[in-house]
Amino acid sequence: MIKSIVIAQQVWRETLRRKDLYVLFILLLAFFITLMTLNVFGLKSLVGHIKEIGLLLVWIFCWFLTIGISTRQLPHEEKSGTIFSLLAKPVGRAELIIGKWLGACSMAGLATLVFYVVLGGIVLARGGTFSLRLALEAFLLQCCFIGVLAALGLLLSTRMNGDAAATLTAILSVAAFLILPQVPQWSANVVGRQREIMLAIYYALPHLELFDLRQRLVYDWEPLRIEPLGMILAYGLLVAAMFLVIAWLAYRNKKFSRDII
Amino acid sequence: MSSAIETCELTVEFHSDVKALQKLDLRVAQGEVYGFIGPNGAGKTTTMHVLLGFIAATSGSASIFGVDVRKSIARQRIGYMPEHPQTYAFLTGRELLIMAGRLFGMGGKFLSDRAEELIEKVGLSEAKNRRIAGYSRGMMQRIALAQALINDPDLVILDEPTSGFDPIGRIEIREIISELKRAGKTVFFSSHELSEVEKVCDRVGIIARGRLVAEGGISALVKGGESLEQYFIRTLS
Repeated sequence: MIKSIVIAQQVWRETLRRKDLYVLFILLLAFFITLMTLNVFGLKSLVGHIKEIGLLLVWIFCWFLTIGISTRQLPHEEKSGTIFSLLAKPVGRAELIIGKWLGACSMAGLATLVFYVVLGGIVLARGGTFSLRLALEAFLLQCCFIGVLAALGLLLSTRMNGDAAATLTAILSVAAFLILPQVPQWSANVVGRQREIMLAIYYALPHLELFDLRQRLVYDWEPLRIEPLGMILAYGLLVAAMFLVIAWLAYRNKKFSRDII
Repeated sequence: MSSAIETCELTVEFHSDVKALQKLDLRVAQGEVYGFIGPNGAGKTTTMHVLLGFIAATSGSASIFGVDVRKSIARQRIGYMPEHPQTYAFLTGRELLIMAGRLFGMGGKFLSDRAEELIEKVGLSEAKNRRIAGYSRGMMQRIALAQALINDPDLVILDEPTSGFDPIGRIEIREIISELKRAGKTVFFSSHELSEVEKVCDRVGIIARGRLVAEGGISALVKGGESLEQYFIRTLS
C-alpha cells in the first residue's frame, strides 16, 4: 500500500506542476465571478439559478479533470519510457494501478472540494442558504463518482493511448449519465426479448446518476438518510473495484519493449 | 549460494515468428562483473527486460538471487539503468531519488542522506534542485544511474551505461562499476564499447540472434595479444 501511496504522490506532483489544472481553476473562477455579478431584474430566486448553474459547472469541470488525469497516467508512463524505471522497482502492476487511481481520485476530489467551497461562498454572499449536511453528502457522492470514472479511465488506458481512452471514457460516462436512466421508460414500450435485453443492459451498466445530488442542493430538499447514502457509496466502491480488477487483468501481462519509447 | 542471475532455456518469441531469445542459459555469480555483448538486435535488452519482469518469457525460466523474476519481490535487490533513461521531467533530481528510495521501502534521514551521497557521486550537486526537464542528456544519464543505486542494490543491471556520456563521464562510470565490484556487488551490463567491457569485466557473454555463442573470462577468451573487439568480430563472423 505504501508503494501505491508513493505513486499517488507522483500523480499529485505531476498534476500540480502541469499548467492545465490552473487554467481550469481560472476558467471556473471566471464563470463563478460572472454568476456572482448576475442580477437580472433584482430577482431573489436568482440564487437558485446560481446554485444550479454553479453545480453544473462543478460537475463538468470535475468530470473533465478526472478523465484528463486518469487516462493520461499509464499511456504517458509507457510513451515516455519512465515505466521501465518504475517497474524495475519492486512494484507490482496492481500496486501501480491502485497508486495511479488513488492519485487521480484524490487530486480530482481535492479540486472538487475547492470548487464546492468557492461556490458555497458565492451562494452565501448572494444571500442564499444550503444544508451543510446535504452539501457534504453531495460532495461525498461526487467523490464516489470520481472514483468510478477514474477507474474506468484507467481501465481503458491500459489498452489504448491517452487520447482514445479519454474520448471513450467521456462518451461512456455521458451515455451512462444521460441515456441509461431513460432505458426503463423506453423498455415499457417494447415486449419480449428486446425488453429483457434492454433491462439487462440497464442493470449491468454503472448508474452514475445515483451520485448526483444537485437537484436536492438546488431546491434545498432533505438530506439523504444514512441507509441509501451507504448503499450508493457501497455501489460506487464496488463498481470502481470491478473496473480496477479488470484493469489489472488487462495490464498484468502487458509486454513493454523499447519500441514504445 | 544461489547465483545472482540464472536463466534456464529462456525463450522469448514476439508475434510467434520473431525469436528474440532462444533457449538462453545464463549464470552470473554473485560479486561478478559480467559484460553482456552482442550486435544490435541480438537479444541483450530483451534478456534484461525478462529479468526485470517487463516481458514474460515464452518458455524457460529466469531467477534473480533464486527468486522467480515474475515476482515483484525479485526486484528488491536490483538497481537498473535503461539504455535511454527517461525520468519524470516534472521532478527535481533530488525528488526523483527520494521517490525511487521510497518505492524500495526506504525513508527518513537514511534515504535523504543516501540521495545526497549519490547526487554527489554522480556530480549533480549543483543541479539537484532543478527540474529534470532542464537536464542535458548526460545529466539525465547520471541521475538515472543514481536512482539505480539508491537502494544499495546487490545486483546492478546497466543497459548501455556509457552511451550518453562524454569521455570523462565514461571514466566515472567505469570507476563506479569498479567501486561496486569492490563492494561485492554483482554488475550485469551490456555495452558496445568493448574496450570498456575489457577493462572492467570478470566475464563476458556474447549473444547473437538470441543465443549465447561464447562465454568466459576475458583472459580465457582473448589470447595472443588479441583485443576483445577482435575476438568479438572473429566469433560473430
